[in-house]
Amino acid sequence: MAMSRLARSEAARGLLMVSPPALYALLLLAVPLAAILAFSFWSQDFLTIDFTPTLKNYREAFSEPLYMQLMLRSVLIAGSVTLATVILAFPIAYFVSFHVPPHRKSLWIFLITIPFWTSYLIRVFLWKVILGYNGVLNTTLQGLGITDEPLTFILYNANAVVITLAHAFAPFAILPIFVSLEKIDRSLLEASRDLGENHVMTFLRVTLPLAVPGIVAAVLIVFIPTIGDYVTPRLVGGPDGLMIANMIQTQFLKLNNAPMGAALAVIAMSIVTLIALFFLFLNRKYLRGRS
Amino acid sequence: MKNPPIVSLRGVHKYYGNYHALRGIDLDIGAGEFFSLLGPSGCGKTTLLRTIAGFEDPSDGVLLLDGKDMAHVPANRRPTNMVFQSYAIFPHLTVAENVAFGLRRRSDLDRSAKQKMVEESLEMVGLGGYGGRAAHALSGGQRQRVALARALILHPKVLLLDEPLSALDKKLREQMQNELRRLQRHVGITFILVTHDQEEALIMSDRIAVMFEGEIAQLADPQTLYRRPVTRRVADFIGVMNFLPAKVDGRTLEIAGLGRAEVQPDQAPSGMPSGSGHIGIRPETMSVLFEGEKTPVRVADGKVVELAYYGDMTYYQVLLDGTESPVTVSMKNLVGRKVLERGDRARISWDERSLVVFP
Repeated sequence: MAMSRLARSEAARGLLMVSPPALYALLLLAVPLAAILAFSFWSQDFLTIDFTPTLKNYREAFSEPLYMQLMLRSVLIAGSVTLATVILAFPIAYFVSFHVPPHRKSLWIFLITIPFWTSYLIRVFLWKVILGYNGVLNTTLQGLGITDEPLTFILYNANAVVITLAHAFAPFAILPIFVSLEKIDRSLLEASRDLGENHVMTFLRVTLPLAVPGIVAAVLIVFIPTIGDYVTPRLVGGPDGLMIANMIQTQFLKLNNAPMGAALAVIAMSIVTLIALFFLFLNRKYLRGRS
Repeated sequence: MKNPPIVSLRGVHKYYGNYHALRGIDLDIGAGEFFSLLGPSGCGKTTLLRTIAGFEDPSDGVLLLDGKDMAHVPANRRPTNMVFQSYAIFPHLTVAENVAFGLRRRSDLDRSAKQKMVEESLEMVGLGGYGGRAAHALSGGQRQRVALARALILHPKVLLLDEPLSALDKKLREQMQNELRRLQRHVGITFILVTHDQEEALIMSDRIAVMFEGEIAQLADPQTLYRRPVTRRVADFIGVMNFLPAKVDGRTLEIAGLGRAEVQPDQAPSGMPSGSGHIGIRPETMSVLFEGEKTPVRVADGKVVELAYYGDMTYYQVLLDGTESPVTVSMKNLVGRKVLERGDRARISWDERSLVVFP
């Protein structure tokens, strides 16, 4: 009797303690998500919302080629950004972890973050200056006589979006990979050398597999926000570089079709969830044997 | 050393910046020997082991393995394998994959032959049937065995062991000491063990090199090392030794608290000092005389100032008359033998053959 009262009061105290963050999470995460989900099953009836549940939006999303094309392009761009970012971030993280003296490592990490002190928007504009028709890159290339006329495939298309986003998300990929490399017991690398493997094979058989959790984290951290990015495609993407988020924004604000926008958002989120789950599964497989 | 040397070091120095870690090591280790590098932390024993393994390049000097110069031979091409202090078991691989790690390059073996070797290897270290286990599910002792199996499967000319037992508890450590010794005799491979535990070195080794500050202070078999240490520092590091000042006149000593003694030249391994010196005497070579026991030739009187009762043994701190610091005397607690108390007078018997003379 006394025990159950104690348990109840402890449970009550626990509830009391978690309620502010729980409330916060509920209002800012669960409610908006539920609203989006609800909207996606309603429909727009000129100026009012028709609350009759319907799959009309989803049917349209899957049958209209434009939507699927934007969705596919978003996945491809986010995938390219992720690939480029992780491939470029890995050597940097590796260098800092393995070739920088221990007392300098935090300084290096600090220096890596410096370019990211300026606003995201300003950095996107800077890329316009660099990649533009009369931009830094083209004038340099022409000045050196490497090209005769300005390159046009580098701005206002998907390439520009990939370059800009890969730069913007670099530190977010460097940090988790760096952490996972730091956690590798250096005697494991010596053990591999001792057992007859050279530097390259030691990297492939020991370092890389043990860095997988960091790489997976980097992939998720880069992929999830970039697939939904709409500022960069809007500013440097041109008509061919637009992504699904731009369409969602257009549906909500310009076309005044919130239910259609909501349905596209739900589909985009589902795709992200599927891809994230795949990578988490991959991580689980490599985490085997790590306590 | 009975067999021809498998490891030879000549004038090996190692500098880390200004720090002189190895100061001219000359050493020959025989094939099939169980050799120990013993010393306090920071004495250079691990650096020496890592130099042999190829993880450190000597700043000066020559290292020969099986007669071949190892300069510019990387660790992965040396006929040595190592058991690391942390065991360095690959956490992303199973036990069998760990043991088979070094077999990848053996193209002369097919998969089933490799599998068979792994099983035999695990069997040899007492881990038969553990192959499928994840590395993280192993206890400390089991990790150690995996590390041994992983190194021995490659049949190295020399197996290097870097403080392999220091992370184990006392019981397991004693058990592994016996097993390592048995395994070494069984496979006949040269073992070089690094340890700071003098007891471990004495139990397991054929020969021991005692190192201080990057130099070998004494190189000897366990019995010589224990009975005839060349310096007071070595004597103090190996077991317990009492030191007493003495006046030296030829072979005749006048020892504070003990009295007169005659010694043989072999009792002064670093040469007989002239004028004044010290003698060293082990606690177990002295004993407390009880009433009714016959009086031997050499006795000394004193007072028990402290005692420690260990069950099987009692360690007395006895302040000999005419001295300032007490000596340790150990006594077996035989049936019916009385244990003295603090403050009791004690008569000590000793033997002049057990003395060691130091400058």
